[in-house]
Amino acid sequence: MFDQIFGNYLVQAGKLSQEKLDAVIEYESSVRVKLGTIAVAEKLMTDKQAEEVNQLQAVMDKRFGDIAVEKGYLTDDQVGQLLKKQGNAYMIFVQTLIDQEIMTMEDIEKSLKEYQDTQGFTDSDMSDLVSGDIERIVKLFLPANTDLHDRLCGIAIRTLIRLVNSGAYVSKAFLVDQIVADNFALQAMQGDHSLISGFAGCADSLLAIANPFAGEEFDAVDFDALDAVGEFTNCINGLFASELSKEGVDIDMLPPEFYDHPVTISGNQFCVFPITIGYNVINFILSIDSELKIA
Amino acid sequence: MAKILIVDDSRTSRKVLRGILEEGGHEIVDEAANGQEGVQKFQACKPDIVTMDITMPVLDGMEALKMIKALKPDMKVVMVTAAGQKNKMIDCIKLGANEFLTKPFDKEEIISVINKLS
Repeated sequence: MFDQIFGNYLVQAGKLSQEKLDAVIEYESSVRVKLGTIAVAEKLMTDKQAEEVNQLQAVMDKRFGDIAVEKGYLTDDQVGQLLKKQGNAYMIFVQTLIDQEIMTMEDIEKSLKEYQDTQGFTDSDMSDLVSGDIERIVKLFLPANTDLHDRLCGIAIRTLIRLVNSGAYVSKAFLVDQIVADNFALQAMQGDHSLISGFAGCADSLLAIANPFAGEEFDAVDFDALDAVGEFTNCINGLFASELSKEGVDIDMLPPEFYDHPVTISGNQFCVFPITIGYNVINFILSIDSELKIA
Repeated sequence: MAKILIVDDSRTSRKVLRGILEEGGHEIVDEAANGQEGVQKFQACKPDIVTMDITMPVLDGMEALKMIKALKPDMKVVMVTAAGQKNKMIDCIKLGANEFLTKPFDKEEIISVINKLS
């Protein structure tokens, strides 16, 4: 994910053109294959086992390697070897920039330091970013709020990367009392906590979730497209409820709600977590134990 | 081949489920977008199996399950749940639910569950 975040920073800082970034990311995707694909190619897993683990990832908030180990298809050592073979996305990104003579190592390091200073990240934060570990990365972009915010936002981005678009990346989340959106799909949850979560978009940005998740080509963000976004939100919330239930915390989902017209979302310091998919920026909205008004 | 009624408020879910079941050789006799509509259509189209989403507006899946089982106790009802609805699953078993499917859908699991009941 940090390849996308840093690449976007380079574009905004005028150090890299959008076209060159797109080309580098495309090249990177072509050389960095999925863990399951490598495991099958190495004959450590069968196609069927890899497919089963992929399916389980849709209902379990766990990494491919962790599930494969739990199922007894791979050992921890084998997962480690496979991860080495897969390579770190950010390292491949940097290597590609250098190999294609787009930037020098010195330029990259200088830009990385500028990025670190701009964002106020510590050296330890930068290690987390470069690690490629989504959990460690996402934590850095969330407001110091509550454990529940961290966990639900984390599940949201991990599920989005697994089920919708593996190239999605995040920007710093923030707390607000009001935000406007052109359309909004949300789901409320009630029980030991009262929560509202959902995706708010501008223009047709929510199609970046609706189309891949439903396997359709919606022309506009209408009720059918919002229904798909609502179902995706339901998956995220289900994983979250499942995690909480293991700790004896009971919450239950209500039917999703949709707004296919511009709305003003108001509340008390609710969380807005911007997620970029391709050229679309979508806000993941989350309010915990605090009401949201939508008008 | 079973005649199936799909009850789910999500058009996306109904479409995915219909596609998988039809590919598996089953016939979708009708669809309903909430529990109340589901109970009405169940009486009208007389399916072999009902797939019933739990979380729905107007009348939820558990209430609809209760009503269908009162009308026809041996009706086969497959409840559709999201992850994290374990408590509701237990309540559904007590109400007579025959099987469960979890969203997002797994094609093989759906075919296996429906074939088992057919």
